[in-house]
Amino acid sequence: MQNLKYLGPYLKQHASRIVAGLILMAVSTGLSVIQPRFVGDAINSLRHPSLGHLTFYVGLILAAAILQALFSFLQRSALNRVSRLIEYELRNDCFTHLQSLEQRFYQEMHTGDLMARLTNDLSAVRQFIGMGLTNMCMTFMMLVVVSVLMVTLSWKLALIAFIVLPFTTVSVVVLGRVMQRRFRLVQDQFGRISTQAQENFSGIRVIKAFAQEDREIAAFSKANSEYVRLNLSYVRLSGLMWPIMRLVVGLALALVLFVGGLQVINGSLSLGGLVQFTLYLGMLTWPMVSLGYTINQYQQGAASMGRIIEVLHRNPAIADSGRTLPLEEVTGKIEFRNVGVRYDDRWVFRNVSFTVEPGSTTAIIGMTGAGKTTLMSLVPRILEADEGQVLVDGVDVRRIPLDTLRRAVGHVPQDNFLFSATLRENVSFGVDHPSDEALWQAVEISQLGRDLEQFSNGLDTVVGERGVSLSGGQKQRTALARAIMRNPSILILDDAMSSVDTHTQAEILRGLQGVMAHRTTLITAMRISTIKNADQIVVLHDGGVAEIGSHQELLNADGLYAKMYRRELLQQELEVEEGEEVEA
Amino acid sequence: MRPHFDNDQDEVLGKAYDGRLVRRLVPFITPYKRRLLLATVLLLLSPAFDLAGPWLTKLAIDQDIYPVHHKPNPGGLGLILVLYLLTLAGGFVLRYFQNWHIQHIGQHVMFDLRNRIFSHLQRLPLQFFDTHPVGSLITRMTNDIDALNDLLTEGLVSMIGDFATLAGVIIIMLLMNWQLALVALAVLPVVGYVSRVFQRAMRVIYRSIRVRLSRVNAFLNENITGMVTVQLFNRESTMFEQFDRLNSDYLGANLRSVFAYSVFMPIVSFLGAVSTALLIWVGGHGIISHWGPAFTLGALIAASQYTDRAFQPIRDLADTFNTLQAAMASSERLFGLLDQVQEPPDSANPVVLDKVAGKIEFRNVKFGYKPEHPVLRDVSFTIQPGESVAIVGATGAGKTSLISILSRFYDIQEGQILLDGVDIREMRRADVRKHIGAVLQDAVLFSGTITGNIRLHNTDISDADVRRAAVFVNADKFIEQLPDGYDHVVRERGANFSAGQRQLISFARAIAFDPEVLLVLDEATSSVDTETEALIQEALERLMQNRTSIIIAHRLFTIRHVDRILVLHKGRLVEEGTHEELLNRRGYYHRLYQLQYQEQEAAV
Repeated sequence: MQNLKYLGPYLKQHASRIVAGLILMAVSTGLSVIQPRFVGDAINSLRHPSLGHLTFYVGLILAAAILQALFSFLQRSALNRVSRLIEYELRNDCFTHLQSLEQRFYQEMHTGDLMARLTNDLSAVRQFIGMGLTNMCMTFMMLVVVSVLMVTLSWKLALIAFIVLPFTTVSVVVLGRVMQRRFRLVQDQFGRISTQAQENFSGIRVIKAFAQEDREIAAFSKANSEYVRLNLSYVRLSGLMWPIMRLVVGLALALVLFVGGLQVINGSLSLGGLVQFTLYLGMLTWPMVSLGYTINQYQQGAASMGRIIEVLHRNPAIADSGRTLPLEEVTGKIEFRNVGVRYDDRWVFRNVSFTVEPGSTTAIIGMTGAGKTTLMSLVPRILEADEGQVLVDGVDVRRIPLDTLRRAVGHVPQDNFLFSATLRENVSFGVDHPSDEALWQAVEISQLGRDLEQFSNGLDTVVGERGVSLSGGQKQRTALARAIMRNPSILILDDAMSSVDTHTQAEILRGLQGVMAHRTTLITAMRISTIKNADQIVVLHDGGVAEIGSHQELLNADGLYAKMYRRELLQQELEVEEGEEVEA
Repeated sequence: MRPHFDNDQDEVLGKAYDGRLVRRLVPFITPYKRRLLLATVLLLLSPAFDLAGPWLTKLAIDQDIYPVHHKPNPGGLGLILVLYLLTLAGGFVLRYFQNWHIQHIGQHVMFDLRNRIFSHLQRLPLQFFDTHPVGSLITRMTNDIDALNDLLTEGLVSMIGDFATLAGVIIIMLLMNWQLALVALAVLPVVGYVSRVFQRAMRVIYRSIRVRLSRVNAFLNENITGMVTVQLFNRESTMFEQFDRLNSDYLGANLRSVFAYSVFMPIVSFLGAVSTALLIWVGGHGIISHWGPAFTLGALIAASQYTDRAFQPIRDLADTFNTLQAAMASSERLFGLLDQVQEPPDSANPVVLDKVAGKIEFRNVKFGYKPEHPVLRDVSFTIQPGESVAIVGATGAGKTSLISILSRFYDIQEGQILLDGVDIREMRRADVRKHIGAVLQDAVLFSGTITGNIRLHNTDISDADVRRAAVFVNADKFIEQLPDGYDHVVRERGANFSAGQRQLISFARAIAFDPEVLLVLDEATSSVDTETEALIQEALERLMQNRTSIIIAHRLFTIRHVDRILVLHKGRLVEEGTHEELLNRRGYYHRLYQLQYQEQEAAV
């Protein structure tokens, strides 16, 4: 219940629609409850052979039916929309909120989990609202009105109905719960066989290369028969549901016919009254059944709402604070002051301090896991330092409006993310009003231009989900063009050219030199040869800055950097030597 | 920016019955024909029990409660009650078992189909997988098979069961009172027509709901995975606008379905009231005006109950057409898959070599994925047992094809490939691949454990073998640092391992299977730090020792370590020799070397 109270504001937003819907529902319920009465009257009128009476009551039935159809239509269109509207609003709210959450949140939470909350959980909540609103209200109204009418007709028959009919609700609740549990097992197993098939098809080369086809078939068949077993165990129960409903309703009808028949014989009930009562039984059946469903859905709806709230109420860790300073333009001076970052209890690095002058290039070098990406993520505040300060233009990044800060940064991440859109749209992604001139310049510098002939529609080629139709190098160069296109004061290249061949890489660097001259650049690479021309090189090692200086300075210092560089040269030098030897 | 998602499933509406497809479906059901017969009998019997209620009501009213010609007979009511309860119990049992048998058949037919398709796919040539996206294959295995299950468990039940119920209702009513039967027959077709119109509209609406929902979800998924990019480029509001557009499209489709139901449901209940009113009026008229002995109060009430019971079957039948249509479309796609030509069968009298020395010989080999476009022409060479050979060439020279035909992923069009003097086409594919192992370009890992990934399903490879293989290729160092070591969980696609680690595991896999000949596709490894790179190179070197090995080299390092280099150019073997020899020759290799490898050095 705690969780469901968060639905309050959403419901309140549609209060007038809900109230109108409920009023319409009351009218339509009244009109449907009155029909059996007219049927009973019509039958009783047959005792006095007058066609006029009969026609009168039949006319009343039809009149009530027409009005009821009309009100029922109005009520449905008013009320049944509410759950869909709320679903829409909730989904939008979740999306907006997700946009404010920081990278760490996405690292902790799996995409699949988040997707499940925004799809399955959202639809469970929607179903609950829909069921709760329409069925519960309808059930309530029906139960109250019909019970009163039943009791006035015959309290004995009413007693039978009240004893027998609730078994429908009970069996829905009891059976439904077990069925849900078994169905979940079915779905899990279904997930497993789909994954198994998917992995097999994607890895078919390996399967074939290692001649594993027969063993794969056996493994699949095993999972498949488990799936059948679970399905049948579900069917064994689910097959009971409707036969039980029919049995219970039939039982009520039979008993009413028997007891009611005796009452008609002894004169305490009219035949029309008996028919009227039978019709009421039919009217109560569906509300009783749906009551059971709603009870089951309540639990699920509340749990699902809880999972959605977990997302909606997660506080954005990185956001503008009240203390932001207005900053017009960023020139690009970056300063790290005793910066430290930790994941859980483990410090990635601590006490990192250095300054990057505007317009200069600083390279960050270190082994995998030294924290190069982490360090660079601090500048556009994708990540926040756990201690120390990062300053841009002398201002703590936490006091610069996020929007201004990020607009100043062009970021090319290690594993670049492209959108399933055209190349053009991807390159001009970060610009509000892209000009063709800027677009082509970015395409040229990133050496993307010469690939364009390969694509059927040039820049208007759709790159497919995550850019699947592009090679690794093309993806990286598109991401590079996207960053250049923003004309940022600060350019961050995080191992941005690992899949680009050395020849193209050299040309990109040459092209970038023109661009880099005016802006601050932070760059990391796996190979020192890519970055040795940087103005300043920071070597991250063992949780801190091990060395800092220019390429030459660091070589002279003959420390870690020099060792790494020698190691890298080793194989290449060998090859050069050999090549020269042969050519000599 | 408009999102481009290609999720619109090909739901082409076709015929609801296609004799050719149905004939092909029959063999899948024949194994269960006894059970199907039983289910059909139960299905035909159950209306008799279901429809007894109104008849008993009529008897109770006309003979016991409100008889015209004699006094009421309270004693008779007891008998009616007993009969009523018996038919209820009978109906309960029949319906439950009928459903159980039908579902049982459905599940087993689906099981057979899934297995059949999976096994069929295992034997398809690689070319098939190059041209068919995995996603659509999965859809075949799930949605399309489900559609066939619907055909059995809903379509068939509806066609037989509902039809039987309807026929029962009409026959009983005609026997009971034909005038009242005519009234019902006037209303029921209207219900059928309205239901059919509704179902047709809903089919279109449901389809747009599905399509729009999958667009919303694809966009959502993309934005969640790329959220940092969105934030870095300040695109939150543009992305939200796009999302809102997709979300409100989806809402629109849903509201249309709400509207359709809001119209349909009241119409159906109105039709119910109309039929009741008409029956009362006609029946009442008949009673008052003494039209005949068939006009009794009991008949009137029973007629109204019978008409009521015919409503649901009619609505179901209206939906059956959709079920049939979907099932036909699905079976068309499924049979399309099963019609894909499998790899040609292994030779009837295969040559089985127990252990091979590892001599490989290409004799005038010609091969093309399409025979009219050969990618390898007249290629001949011999590799001695234990020799290591690198194959180099520009992109498209045919290097990968050479590996593929040697593993018999594809058969060649002309010439011969011999292993220890035996044409590999005379051997079983599985044996060829047992002797000739391959390390493939993209190191594919499966979800499971590290051990499972090294030995795959091959139980002949012991835990100790797995460890030995890992140690041999330098993979043990990082594996032993993992919390669960060799039992460490590998997520889908090996997502929790780095590219370098994945490569080492795939080396270990190749070694664990211990082939006499090893093929290595050595992809230029990106984003691998110098440390891991060194491990990989060392492992490669060890892999090649004392084993016939053919390596497609992207690294200068590996080229330097092989005994001989074969140079491919446009599908032909143009040069061969050692690195030094080839450089000295100053031919194609020399140019290739300058173009591809020397640039690495230029950067130094």
